[in-house]
Parts: sequence; structure tokens; C-alpha cells
Amino acid sequence: MKYYSYFPGCSLDATAVAYGLSIKAICDPLGMELIELEDWNCCGSTPYGSTDELEAVCIATRNLALAEKKGLDLVTPCSSCYLTLNKANSNLKLYPDLKDRVEWILAAAGLEYRGTVRVRHLAEVILNDIGLEAIKSKVVNRLDGLKVAPYYGCQLVRPALGFDAPENPQSLDRLIASLGAEPTPFPLKSRCCGGSLIISEPDLALGLIRQLLESAAANGAECIITPCPLCQTNLDAFQGMVNAKFKTRFEIPILFFTQLMGVAFGINAKALGLNKGVISAKKALAPFQVAAK
Amino acid sequence: MGTKVYFMIKTAEEAGQEGYEQVLKALEAIPEVESIEPASGDYDLVARVDVPKRVVPVANKILESGGVKRLEVIRVEPLEPNPFMEEVCSIPGGESVLWCAQCGMCSASCPNVAQMDYSPRKIIALIRAGNRNQVLGSNSMGVCASCYLCTVRCPREVKITELMHALECLATRHELTSAKTATPMMHRFFVDIIKRNGRAHEFGLMLRFYLRTNPFAAIKMLPMALKLLLHGRMPLRARRIKGTEQLKVIIHEAQIMGGAI
Repeated sequence: MKYYSYFPGCSLDATAVAYGLSIKAICDPLGMELIELEDWNCCGSTPYGSTDELEAVCIATRNLALAEKKGLDLVTPCSSCYLTLNKANSNLKLYPDLKDRVEWILAAAGLEYRGTVRVRHLAEVILNDIGLEAIKSKVVNRLDGLKVAPYYGCQLVRPALGFDAPENPQSLDRLIASLGAEPTPFPLKSRCCGGSLIISEPDLALGLIRQLLESAAANGAECIITPCPLCQTNLDAFQGMVNAKFKTRFEIPILFFTQLMGVAFGINAKALGLNKGVISAKKALAPFQVAAK
Repeated sequence: MGTKVYFMIKTAEEAGQEGYEQVLKALEAIPEVESIEPASGDYDLVARVDVPKRVVPVANKILESGGVKRLEVIRVEPLEPNPFMEEVCSIPGGESVLWCAQCGMCSASCPNVAQMDYSPRKIIALIRAGNRNQVLGSNSMGVCASCYLCTVRCPREVKITELMHALECLATRHELTSAKTATPMMHRFFVDIIKRNGRAHEFGLMLRFYLRTNPFAAIKMLPMALKLLLHGRMPLRARRIKGTEQLKVIIHEAQIMGGAI
């Protein structure tokens, strides 16, 4: 059993509730235990970092200080949390002046951070620590013939944190193949879905989402998988608005990569939150007999 | 706002000593020329020139003064100190504007550049020119989706996305944000929720944002929000952490140190 501190991120209580369920379901077969960080706060994400840079790094560092007491790697399934917490870590190392100020501020709140926590993305942990061989050995329900587009999004691979290539990553492609499914070519695999601009600049974000769906559909994808809560929501919940705006007829289910793994591991649909998708995955997954009931 | 430009000048060889002096006199008569020094190497003279706006008209004046064969710009620097540049450089990531080569790779890579008042490359050029209000009042930061494609492609490792965040922080602090984009307001509402609860809350954010900006847009979003609600993905109540008091202390101390209080 491998142990990690777990930072789920705010989305996993809301729009990405299916991500949390499926992670819980596949942890056991993979031999990993995620211990949720007690009383973690929002990492701040891009909005806080674009409003006040000092406050933003301080509230992100509160989480790092809490995690440091546990002495384990801090694992998050959210690409934005992954980037934000890593950025706090690297900025504290890069700017000694910032470090002094943050240390002083945290001390006033009774906290201390020495800079030793390693922040990792769940996808990276599953691929590097568990490995494809171990994943293959757990597959009881090979997804033969299922065409899956791997959508990495931006902040898992950029700015380059060393997990995979920033523009043409391959790790999820390999993961899909290890489950018996077929990774489709997906030229836009690491292009932007618009992120939170879907709220403030919806026309712009809907255009980006349309391009992604078009590229996946053109390559014959029956479903798309992603390791990012915001990407999933944008492509899934807003697919109807894309269809209405651009007179398209996309109906591509968007799954978390952990849900697809769960299906291949023979875990039932409900435990994987497959009924949570706005675009139903029933049709795509019907041959594999785990359709949501 | 102007710049100081250094020209290397090659005089026409056939002119001789007398001609050389005439060339010097003609150059000194140009009002923008501040000083002329002899130079060694491929060129004969180096001229320091105050350029009020554009370099080319001044370069043409020098070329047309008679006796100048060719010239080259070797250095351009701001005429006055640039406090905006210093402001930007003091924020983590902002200092990288110093080594931008203005190649334009960032602008060519940006998925949203068509909607920007100024492309990322232009933003950096404007910072260097000290055009504070033009930069902070632009919508460029508000339509940046933080996809970091510019950052990984930049050959000089300029942290363009971080720079965009830093500029939005400055614009928000000094109330200069563009009216053309609602993103900074959305960001502020997001931050307000975190300050109160310690956690993000999508429903609360969208509700407040749409009521404030455009209730009609909310109607368009309603079917989508309803679907999320029915799938158990949009909790109406915000979650709250136990450590909200601790968070309050952290934010208060940061505000004191940042000069906001």
C-alpha cells in the first residue's frame, strides 16, 4: 500500500463529484491510500493569483504548511490546484524576499512552512508510482475497440513541470491502451478549453470548446477522457450550449480518466459516478456492460 | 514619453578632413542630436539622439544631413526613468519583461489574441515604454485563459502568463481594469467567497456574477445550471472550513504587508 496526503480541491465537492467517487473506487485495486488533508482551503487558483499576488501565495502556502506536518507527498487530482500549489512552492524558492514575507505572515497565524512538500498530480502518481503494468494486471473488463480521445488540458502539462511533454503529451494515450481501448489521434489534446472564462467571456470559451469537440469527433472518438475537473465541466455541461450556438450536434461523453479505469477494473457504474455526466456515457460504454442504471 | 537612441554613423570617405568637420556641423544642427563622439571600428561617429516618438524620421534627418553614408541603431533606452517598469518587475514573474526579445512567439501562440486590445508582445513593449494606463486599462489580461502555451514556447523564458496575472493584480489594486471584460470582477467575486468560506462555491459565484453583470445571460445559462443541479453537481450551499479565522489572520497580515491597509 502506498500512502499520500490528498488535496481534492473544491470542484470535487461540486461539479466534479464523479471524479472524487471514481478516485475512491480505484484506489483500493491500485494499492494506494489517499489521506485527505484536514481542513484544507481553496488553493486560490488563477482568480486569486490575478487579484492579489501576496495574499494568493499565502493562502496556497497554508495548505503546504498543513501538509508538511504529515510528511507525505501532497497529491491533487485537479490540474489547477496542481499548478497553483506548485507555483507557490517554486516562487518561495525563487524569491527569498517573498519567502521572508510569507513566513512572517504565516507565523502570525501560528503556521510554519519550511518548503519540503512535493506537490503531485494524481495522473502522474498513478502513471509513475503505480505504473502501467500494475494497471494492466487489474483490468478484468478490457475495453476492446472503444475509441477514446485523451484530453490533457493545459495546466497538467504547462508550464512544464516535467510530467509530460507540454504540447504533445503521451501518458494518457498509453493509459488508454493499457485498458485495452484505442487512443484516437487528438491534435488538440493539450489546447485550452477556456477555463473559468466560460463565466466571464462565454463566447470566447464556447468557441474553444467547439474546436476541441470538433477535433475529437473528426478522429472518431466515442468518448473523451480528462484529468481536469474544469475541462470536464466545460466540455460536458456546456456541450449543449456549443450545439445551440454553432448549430452542431455533438454528443460526446466526457469522462474522468479514473472513471474509464474503473470501468476496465469492473467497478459498477454508480460507484464511478457515471450517472453524473450531463452527456450520458451509456451508449459508448454499453458493450462493456457497466452502463449507468 | 521618448527614448534615447544611439546611432553609429559612417561618413562618406571622399569628403576628407574638411568634409568631416562639415558633417559634424550639419549633425549638430539637428535639434534631436544631443552629442556626437568619434568611434573606432567600422563606423566613424556615435551620436546620442533624443527621439520624441519614432526612430525612423530622426534617422532620415541624419541620413539627409549630407556626408553620412550609412548608420545603424545600436542601443535604445528610455529617456526618463520608467516607474511602471519597476512596479512590474517587483512582482514575481514580472521581472522577465527585461529579457523579452520581442519575437512575437507569444502572440502567435495565444488562442485568444484576436480578442485582446494588445497582444502579449505588445503588452511587453508598452510596459517598456512606460505606458501604464494603456496596459493596465486594456482587456488583454481579462481574456487570457492561463493556458501557458506562450510561456512554454517563449525562447527567452519570459513568464508571460504570470506577467498577465501580475498586471491584472496591479489593475485591480489601482481600479484601472478595462470595462470591456468582466473577468477581473469575476475573479474578485471568487476571492470574496474564498475569504469568507475558505472554499470556492460555483453556484454562489455564478449567481452573484450574473446578477451584477447581465441577468439575461443568466437565463441563457439556466438550462446548463439546472442540468448540473439535477446531476448533483451544483450544491446550492457553500462549504466552509474550520480554519476561517486563521485564514482571516493570514489575509489581514498580507494586506498590511502589501500596503493595502
